[in-house]
Amino acid sequence: MMDTLLAAWAALPVLSLLIGMPLVAAGLLWWWPPQQARALAVAVAVVECLLACGVVAGVNPEQAGFQWVERAAWLPMVNGHYLLGVDGLSALFLPCSAVLFLCMVLSSGVQTWPRFYFALLLALEGITVGIFCALDTLLFFLFWELTLLPIYFLVSLWGIGPHRRFAATQYTLWMLAGGVLLLVGFLLAALGQAGLAAGSGGSFALSALVFDLPTLLATPLPIDRQWPIFFLLLLGFAVKTPVIPFHVWLPMLAMEGPVAVVAMMTGLKLGAYGIIRFALPLAPQVASKYSWLLAGLGVVGIYYGGLAALAQTNLRRLLAFSSISHVGLVLLAVASLTVQGVQGAILQLLNFTLVAGGLFLIAGFVRQRTDSTEWVHLGGMVRSMPFVTTFFLFLGLAGMGMPLTSGFPAEQLMLLGIMATHKGAALAALGGQILGAGYFLHYYCQAFLGPVTHRVVAEAADLRPREWLVLLLVSLPVLASGLYPRWIVHFTQAPAVAWLAHVAGAKP
Amino acid sequence: MTEQWTWLIPLLPGLSAVWIGIGLLGGWNRGERGEWETAQVASWAVALALGVLLLLDGQAILTGAAPGSIRLFPWMETTGYRVMIGFTLDRLGLAMTTLAAVLAWLTVRFSVHYLHREAGFQRFFALLSLFVAALLLFLMAGSATLAFVGWEIMGLTSYLLIGFAYERGNATRNATRVFMTNRVGDAGFTVGMLLSFTWLGGSEWTDLVRGVPLLDSFQVGIMTGGFVLAALVKSGQMPFAAWLGRSLEGPTPSSAIFYGALMVHAGVFLLLRLEQLIAHSPFLMVVLVLLGSLTVVYGALVGSVQTDVKSALICATQTQVGLMFVACGLGWFNWAAWHLAAHAGWRAYQWLSAPGYMHGLHGPTPPVWGEWQQQRPGVFAAALARFWLDPVTDRVLTRPVFFLARDIQSLDDRLVNRLMGSHAMDRILFGPPRPPRQLGAQWVAGVGLLGRLLERVGRHFQWVEERILDLGGDGMVRLVAGLGAHLARIDELFSEPRYLVLMIILTFVAIL
Repeated sequence: MMDTLLAAWAALPVLSLLIGMPLVAAGLLWWWPPQQARALAVAVAVVECLLACGVVAGVNPEQAGFQWVERAAWLPMVNGHYLLGVDGLSALFLPCSAVLFLCMVLSSGVQTWPRFYFALLLALEGITVGIFCALDTLLFFLFWELTLLPIYFLVSLWGIGPHRRFAATQYTLWMLAGGVLLLVGFLLAALGQAGLAAGSGGSFALSALVFDLPTLLATPLPIDRQWPIFFLLLLGFAVKTPVIPFHVWLPMLAMEGPVAVVAMMTGLKLGAYGIIRFALPLAPQVASKYSWLLAGLGVVGIYYGGLAALAQTNLRRLLAFSSISHVGLVLLAVASLTVQGVQGAILQLLNFTLVAGGLFLIAGFVRQRTDSTEWVHLGGMVRSMPFVTTFFLFLGLAGMGMPLTSGFPAEQLMLLGIMATHKGAALAALGGQILGAGYFLHYYCQAFLGPVTHRVVAEAADLRPREWLVLLLVSLPVLASGLYPRWIVHFTQAPAVAWLAHVAGAKP
Repeated sequence: MTEQWTWLIPLLPGLSAVWIGIGLLGGWNRGERGEWETAQVASWAVALALGVLLLLDGQAILTGAAPGSIRLFPWMETTGYRVMIGFTLDRLGLAMTTLAAVLAWLTVRFSVHYLHREAGFQRFFALLSLFVAALLLFLMAGSATLAFVGWEIMGLTSYLLIGFAYERGNATRNATRVFMTNRVGDAGFTVGMLLSFTWLGGSEWTDLVRGVPLLDSFQVGIMTGGFVLAALVKSGQMPFAAWLGRSLEGPTPSSAIFYGALMVHAGVFLLLRLEQLIAHSPFLMVVLVLLGSLTVVYGALVGSVQTDVKSALICATQTQVGLMFVACGLGWFNWAAWHLAAHAGWRAYQWLSAPGYMHGLHGPTPPVWGEWQQQRPGVFAAALARFWLDPVTDRVLTRPVFFLARDIQSLDDRLVNRLMGSHAMDRILFGPPRPPRQLGAQWVAGVGLLGRLLERVGRHFQWVEERILDLGGDGMVRLVAGLGAHLARIDELFSEPRYLVLMIILTFVAIL
């Protein structure tokens, strides 16, 4: 009985369901009564969480290849496929982002056009899941660019700053510019494969282009074809990650955008995922040759972001810069080209989804109550909001890599990987850790501790039940994987080993 | 048989912390009504942990052998990396853990009455239980990684207890500063731990000891140096001696257990653990002797001018711990271990009886200055100012970092944002309409780096035509002058010491 159920579950196109269900629900919201728009969104987000957990449960961690694969013809004239699948590196992102989206839906209480707002959020969820599942570069690109649409409207219509329209336009232009580079990179890879198949000087049909990732990975290009692909993809993903100096949109967006959406945009580091999934494996030889470049960008990011965060007086800008600093460490770990480094990077990205997302949601709660996240307007919040403070401190400590939170195993693995190959960079990264504690505790001390100086702070209410639920949803996985990280580390091991064998094994 | 239950020792106080914490979140043990339950849970947890330890002790005495290293199950593992939940209960570990458990139990019992009807009673006991768990974990840990978990959580609880009275700005600022100082030591610990993984393939204490002969003296020095740095910071030795003085803001029992009796000795314990490694590195032994003696002098001189009992006691503690560091540096590890045990017990008694003593004394005591100090006003002033350790750190480290942060911020605003077209776009899209520049017959407005670049190229041609070709040398001179002003600004920035230091650090990073 159990076996037949499991077999039936494994036969379902669950990934398509994961992508399609929120999109359909978003369409359905047009005809839904506005008062119950959020109820529907919550229901869909909960089902999405459960489905995503089901996907993870169905992934066999011993097997390195892609699983839950779905394939259908999509653009036959250019050989584009509707190809979905996950492996140990990407599968865990599904429940993580599903939980984050559930928290976003739960914590946003918009008054204007609720149907449109929640429809956009759900659409964004479906598209984001698509990014993690797409195994065809064209399909990936489609999802990648599709995220811009809901984000543009969410930021420009429900943003909280006076320059929200500007922030939205700026973000969209940046991402379009990055997207062009990605498209050219993917096309070059496809053309290269077609040329490889046709032999030297041969001509080929459009249908000989190769866009599906497993084939691209199986037949690496010659090194002189790899380097434009690597740099185009790296640059394209760097804009989204963001890497210095392409980060200008992030602090701006953090101040102007609606807090729930910004929580997702800082939490989910899609650019870093793209670098791990596409930029390095598609050009393995160039990547291992130029890993020092990635490491350098990482170190600059750690310090630039950390120091800039130290100079911030506003929590949202601080979190934006701190995320730049954290992602610098992730890049450095990937550049180390070691199993531990890659595993740590994935773990940190997962950890970051919940931690940075959670911190941003707390910033939103604080802003709702006191109308500001500037520390001069705050101070002594622990007096009236002890639970807000507790969760803020807990998530902040997770960001610092304190033991008993998921930040600790992630940072240990990353630093271990870096230490194995770049000793100097590892020492530099440790300096960044000190800085990381500095900017967080500096703000914490100023805004949350000390005497109460403003009446709004003294009269503010503590967490409401819905907010309790949101923060527990975020904190419990962080705590659980910090207490016993063995399972989650094991989950990413086989694919990380295979990834490394592919990238570093292809040394010129 | 009893070995199977060792994990209970750190877990019991940990569970008590969790229980009290959940009670606080759920709100059922608040106020005076919850005090009895909280106190019972906290003290019974420590008492039971102590009971298990005493059983182990009894067994060890009867059989004549300590349990040694116990490995239970893997906590995290991947290629070339494995951390076991395991404990090292050799003679040193067993003795020190028992001592710590006894003192912790006494402190918990004392605190029940000391904190009666104080605000934050439950919070205090949750933190104290967590601290006891972390300390026991650190002392028993079988590997450097597990010890680091205990080490970090000790640091965290110390931060939270120094800032216990969170409404006092002074307390919270001191807490932050203490945590940041400790963070430097944590970085040292991490270096040692990671290098032991990289070079020896594991961080079990036994791996470290076994691996020493395989490494050259430089490698041993770097790896052990990381741990020694951690020990120096945690035990408040020179040049990190200043933080101990700031740590006395918390409730007295927490000061007693943290800085008087137990946590301050964690550094010494780490050195005892790494005895074989330190013995392989003569350079580090010299460093230990030197810094230990400096701390002895510091503690003695600063202690002689203190007027309140807590400060005087902390200085005395520091002096004694400095002596232990000297002993370790001289290779007398056994002597240091005995000194540690005796000192911890005695000092815990002194700290806990200090409030009662103060009660009978009514006010601060006049300091006792001898002939020697009166004749040397310079030394006296230095001792009063605690040898300016904090101002010097501020000047050398803290302020430059903040200046650097400010510089980065203005770089981000003025240069990077402009270069990336952020400001220009703002103006065009939403600002007042920009008067179109006239370029010959064309109207051009570029956006961002690329747009600007194109615009500049166009203008440049015209500029060259107009200024240089038409006006002779005048345009050139102005160009050079403008460039000179920018270069002067950059030069000015680079002559600041922080950038010089930064360049040196960068060079090191690149070389390594």
